[in-house]
Amino acid sequence: MESGEEDGYYYTSDQESLDGLDHDQSNLQPLSSTVNSAKVITKESLLAAQREDLRRVMELLSLKEHHARTLLIHHRWDVEKLFAVLVEKGKDFLFSRAGLTLVQDHPTFSPSSMMSCDICVDDVAGHLMTRMDCGHCFCNNCWARHFAVMINEGKSKRIRCMAYKCNAICDEDVVRSLVSKTQPDLAHKFDRFLIESYVEDNKMVKWCPSTPHCGNAIRVEDDELCEVECSCGFQFCFSCSYQAHSPCSCSMWELWRKKCHDESETVNWITVHTKPCPKCYKPVEKNGGCNLVTCLCGQSFCWLCGEATGRDHTWSSISGHSCGRYQEDKEKQLERAKRDLYRYMHYHNRYKAHIDSSKLEDRLSDTILEKVSILERRQLQLKDFSWVTNGLHRLFRSRRVLSYSYPFAFYMFGEELFKDEMSAEEREIKQNLFEDQQQQLEANVEKLSQFLEEPFDQFADDKVVQIRIQVINLSVAVDTLCKKMYECIENDLLGSLQLGIHNIAPYRSNGIERASNFISSREAAGEKRQPPNSGWNSEDTSCSSRKRPRREGVYRNNQTTLLDLNLPADVIERK
Amino acid sequence: MIDISRVQKELQDCEKDRDSSGIRVCPKSDNLTRLTGTIPGPIGTPYEGGTFQIDITIPEGYPFEPPKMQFSTKVWHPNISSQSGAICLDVLKDQWSPALTLKTALVSVQALLSAPEPKDPQDAVVAEQYMKNYQVFVSTARYWTQTFAKNSSLEDKVKRLVEMGFGDAQVRSAIESSGGDENLALEKLCSG
Repeated sequence: MESGEEDGYYYTSDQESLDGLDHDQSNLQPLSSTVNSAKVITKESLLAAQREDLRRVMELLSLKEHHARTLLIHHRWDVEKLFAVLVEKGKDFLFSRAGLTLVQDHPTFSPSSMMSCDICVDDVAGHLMTRMDCGHCFCNNCWARHFAVMINEGKSKRIRCMAYKCNAICDEDVVRSLVSKTQPDLAHKFDRFLIESYVEDNKMVKWCPSTPHCGNAIRVEDDELCEVECSCGFQFCFSCSYQAHSPCSCSMWELWRKKCHDESETVNWITVHTKPCPKCYKPVEKNGGCNLVTCLCGQSFCWLCGEATGRDHTWSSISGHSCGRYQEDKEKQLERAKRDLYRYMHYHNRYKAHIDSSKLEDRLSDTILEKVSILERRQLQLKDFSWVTNGLHRLFRSRRVLSYSYPFAFYMFGEELFKDEMSAEEREIKQNLFEDQQQQLEANVEKLSQFLEEPFDQFADDKVVQIRIQVINLSVAVDTLCKKMYECIENDLLGSLQLGIHNIAPYRSNGIERASNFISSREAAGEKRQPPNSGWNSEDTSCSSRKRPRREGVYRNNQTTLLDLNLPADVIERK
Repeated sequence: MIDISRVQKELQDCEKDRDSSGIRVCPKSDNLTRLTGTIPGPIGTPYEGGTFQIDITIPEGYPFEPPKMQFSTKVWHPNISSQSGAICLDVLKDQWSPALTLKTALVSVQALLSAPEPKDPQDAVVAEQYMKNYQVFVSTARYWTQTFAKNSSLEDKVKRLVEMGFGDAQVRSAIESSGGDENLALEKLCSG
């Protein structure tokens, strides 16, 4: 069966069919609707990026920018949801829930008369007092100190009025002007918190997790379940903000990562002393008080089991938690621990081996590209060497798939996650199915690696042509096998599970999507007449006839990267 | 930097109506960072007749940060730790507002004594007893009030300790050296 299948991938050395190959390859690109168009938002474009959302809210409700921001922060920058609340519950509900009060006619006071501030209990001249939109009036000094405490506590985004039980959010202009008089640094901090809320509170935007941090954030359009590459070159999983790990699911990767770093002291400390917030996943340390803990993000949760709770969490439901019950026999556990360790070592060794290989191959890429330039200088019949870069890219991409397929298998066929999901026989059948695919992929990846490492720059004309065929064939085979493996995981393995939510980012033949720079609609309009900015290697592709002008406003990162693919334009268009 | 004038003003205001409210706040130190609050147990509750002392620490950022409060008198209540006296009360945490005062906070604590919130417990043992066996809870709370929150005369204290089997002279010296604190005296007697 195996050889029969392989025949399907391989092509003859006939030149015509090879030319056709490149077109076929383009058909392998995923055509699904989940194709994202991710954008890189830099420090400089952060403000412009949120302007669009702000403007929509401002225009619809005829609000000032800071009022729109208060609403958007409250609704976590989900404009659609905000509008839905508006339609269903009305403007007053929308405003009062967000703590937004618009100026009504409050009694005015003469600026020269003396008034008493209820906070510092001093008599203060009227011009040194400030009345918030909610109507509460205190002296500027007290307001400033209140703002300072709130900003330092990380509550910049929702600074409430000082009056007891007043839910109103303080006007950001007032905060800014009063704080900057005495503590300009703090005012900057406040501004930064407000601006960064667009990233921090928005599920469609995330910081690039690169270390050291490149300063960028990435925005995706519809699907949060994807892998993206930042303009700094870091590739990560958008759902969990860790390095790209498909075909491992996020929770599998989380478990695996923790398992691999078990010995780290910091991790130990964090596991012992903190619990992740069920909403924002940041570790929360309990600093006293009862077991109803509230994270800075506003989410309350039960300290005992880590589950999200409302404000009305009840004691009786705490005692109902099964987290307090000890479930397994210790004896049995010890016995199992040993078997589990061997199992873990098996998968970890293979995972590590592919990671190591990919590091070695990464270093090889320079020498391989060197070989290309040597070939180019030689006057060969063959002029197009894009197959080398394509093959190299395919190698990197599939190595990565291979390495992450091991932690996936560790959890998929282990007892930790899906013990009750499959019977032993079922598990065995599925494991065999998966391992066959894994093995096939592994064999082809190694072959591809081998061919690319050959000193083909020294070879004669006909031998170079032969290598070319091999590399192209293997590239296609490997791509198809990767795609099949993802399909198998999605449909046959994870798809049939009842419990738990395990999703994997979809496979993309052309590699992890590289986010393009964010351009505000205004800027984009100005650029209309300029020719589309094209990638560095768009010249020597075999399918240049298929290229079409790219979509306006989306322009490719002009970075010179080794691994750019010679994509036909329609694929880029579909992104 | 603590707003001394505001704290002083608060102390004066509190002193003005101490007869009607029964709530007192006295400074422990000259710099007004540590104070002692006193609240009477609310009438009609197991805490009736007791006088409860609360340690108050004024943080640097007061009144923009809440004062730290902790019972120094032992009390049996679902929202107050029977061990440490820590109080689980929203106005002392995220619901604090600079417009509140030490007196209003103590009034809230007093209100907490009349209206326990067993659904948001500080002391799990007490809360469970409150939920499952209310009568036992009431009698335990009353007993604790009698034992720890009553200012009894010296002779009463001596009598009680002598009944436990200690010598009269020994008991008197123990009470004296512990500044009239019956529990401390008992500890001293027990440790020999």
